[in-house]
Amino acid sequence: MEQEKLYQSLSDRLGKLSKFPRMKDDGKSIASLLEEHGFSRRDFMKWAASMTALLALPASFTPLMAQAAELTDRLPVIWLHMAECTGCSESLLRSDAPTIDSLIFDYISLEYHETLMAAAGWQAEETLESSIKKYKGRYVLMVEGGIPSGESSFYLTVGPKGQTGESHAKEAADNALAIFAIGTCSSFGGVQAAAPNPTNAQPLHKVTQKPVINVPGCPPSEKNIVGNVLQYILFGTLPALDAYNRPKWAYGKRIHDQCERRGHFDAGEFVQEFGDEGAKKGYCLYKVGCKGPYTFNNCSRERFNQHTSWPVQAGHGCIGCSEPDFWDKMGPFESPLADRLYHSVFRGLGADATADKIGATILTVTALGIAAHAAISVIKKPKE
Amino acid sequence: MGKFKDLFVKRHTEFSPFYRWHHWIRFFSIIFLIISGFYIAYPFLSPEVDPNPTGFLYAKGRTFHEIAGFIMISMFIGKMYYFFFVKSDRDEMRSFKDLFSVKKWMKQIGYYLLISKHPVLSGAYNVLQLVAYLALYLMLTFLIITGLILYMHVYHDSFLAFLNTPLTYLEVMFGGLASVREIHHVLTWGIIVFIIAHVYMSVFNAIYGKEGTIDSIVSGYKWEIPESEK
Ligand code: HEM
Repeated sequence: MEQEKLYQSLSDRLGKLSKFPRMKDDGKSIASLLEEHGFSRRDFMKWAASMTALLALPASFTPLMAQAAELTDRLPVIWLHMAECTGCSESLLRSDAPTIDSLIFDYISLEYHETLMAAAGWQAEETLESSIKKYKGRYVLMVEGGIPSGESSFYLTVGPKGQTGESHAKEAADNALAIFAIGTCSSFGGVQAAAPNPTNAQPLHKVTQKPVINVPGCPPSEKNIVGNVLQYILFGTLPALDAYNRPKWAYGKRIHDQCERRGHFDAGEFVQEFGDEGAKKGYCLYKVGCKGPYTFNNCSRERFNQHTSWPVQAGHGCIGCSEPDFWDKMGPFESPLADRLYHSVFRGLGADATADKIGATILTVTALGIAAHAAISVIKKPKE
Repeated sequence: MGKFKDLFVKRHTEFSPFYRWHHWIRFFSIIFLIISGFYIAYPFLSPEVDPNPTGFLYAKGRTFHEIAGFIMISMFIGKMYYFFFVKSDRDEMRSFKDLFSVKKWMKQIGYYLLISKHPVLSGAYNVLQLVAYLALYLMLTFLIITGLILYMHVYHDSFLAFLNTPLTYLEVMFGGLASVREIHHVLTWGIIVFIIAHVYMSVFNAIYGKEGTIDSIVSGYKWEIPESEK
């Protein structure tokens, strides 16, 4: 019953959306685009079915998903690059062959994306300004990268006007309909925000007051990026979010919970070192540093590059790249969490200290103290 | 015989049966938690590499860790009740009075430095002992909270699922699941140091305190010389 109601409301929404004009004048339909690239309708429907499953919707919603994909060109998107490596864009676009995901991304009315657009210099700046003005309050903003902010904001200076990334991001966010932070850097600061954070890089949600949906990962999988766009088109509302504003449909469970090597974990079968017998047999990578037990993401289910593979399948543990402060918290990447090195404030003294080393040291000092106290007490008896 | 005994020493009940039982159940569960916890942190035992199904050693380690954890939690709750609501246990609360007396502090430290006499206590514990116990309770509280957060992510729909929302707030406050696990690990070391110091102090007091405090946690009795005999 509830399912039918939801179906009806989503289908009403898509109906309304389809009355909106196409954003692109040369607008090819998704059907012709797919055909051009050698995808059959069947491929497309299979893809739609998998996206439906990804968003944890019932299989009967597949036609809606297909329709949503066809309507992605009604929604203007502005994509900003901040302090980053463009890996998130790459994750989406550099598949071995054009995928349906990347096609959808071409199909979206992408008004501004520095890596993809032909415009440069003044022309590019003009595009950004005019699209913000033209689609004020109607566009989806996607931001990739951490944002040097405050007094350090000059570390990221973009465009012919020499504006800071921070001011770009602020302005674009203020006028956006919905905001997605794509990747760990714009979600949590990422690598450039790692201690000592020399450029004072901040996540997007720290530079705007508006709600930001975080899609972390270094990079996030293409599915999680496109899934968010489709989710938004389908529902027109923000998805259910976890405590870190990550969509629950993607980040609701730990890597560990759905890992293909989980059986070996519980069985106590571990790779002791890379290349050993256990490694050949596909044993659990916990002892060589897998951070899957602390990382919330769907890599173990969705994988990367059209479901081809993912780090754990390739034989290296998860490094926790979609968690806040992962660079500082998850290292060393190739041994368990208890081996984490503490940043020492005493001019590097004890720079190789781990919890166990510190613990054992304190224990030794305690034991020595006790031995000394006991010995002295024997000679010089305590007073009654 | 009985008369003879009464003449020199008086027997009085120091620890009630509840107190003794809870102490030892808690002791063994904590020892087990430490061992199994370190195994969870770094699985030092692994079955031989073998393609056949194994005994699921690690999962069992975690299961028993959690069971011991819940035993420890129930002892913790029981002891809390005992401390706050059981009249015959008021001696523990009375110890807090000494915390505010500089003289008691000086004398206590002096006693352990072997230079002054043991102060007369208002309650059951001396000030250093009391501070150590407060630290223990603080550590245990955080171990329980972090332990429950870890548990929440192992059994999502457990009988404690109603705690998931508040625990998630705490998880974020601690800085994410990785930090939670790390705090859990670091506090384990705190507990180990406490146990070592606690055992030493008990032995020390048993030898020099002349009250037989070590066996009292087993038998419940303490021996003292009555005023009339002094
Ligand atoms: C004296 C009390 C305790 C001690 C000394 C202790 C010790 C430890 C240690 C050393 C670890 C491994 C941490 C790491 O990986 O670095 C651990 C993990 C864990 N502990 Fe405890 N613990 C205690 C109480 C509890 C309690 C009360 C619970 C709650 C039921 C609990 C549940 C867990 C869970 C669920 C894990 C992680 C298992 C996993 O993720 O696979 N612990 N504990």
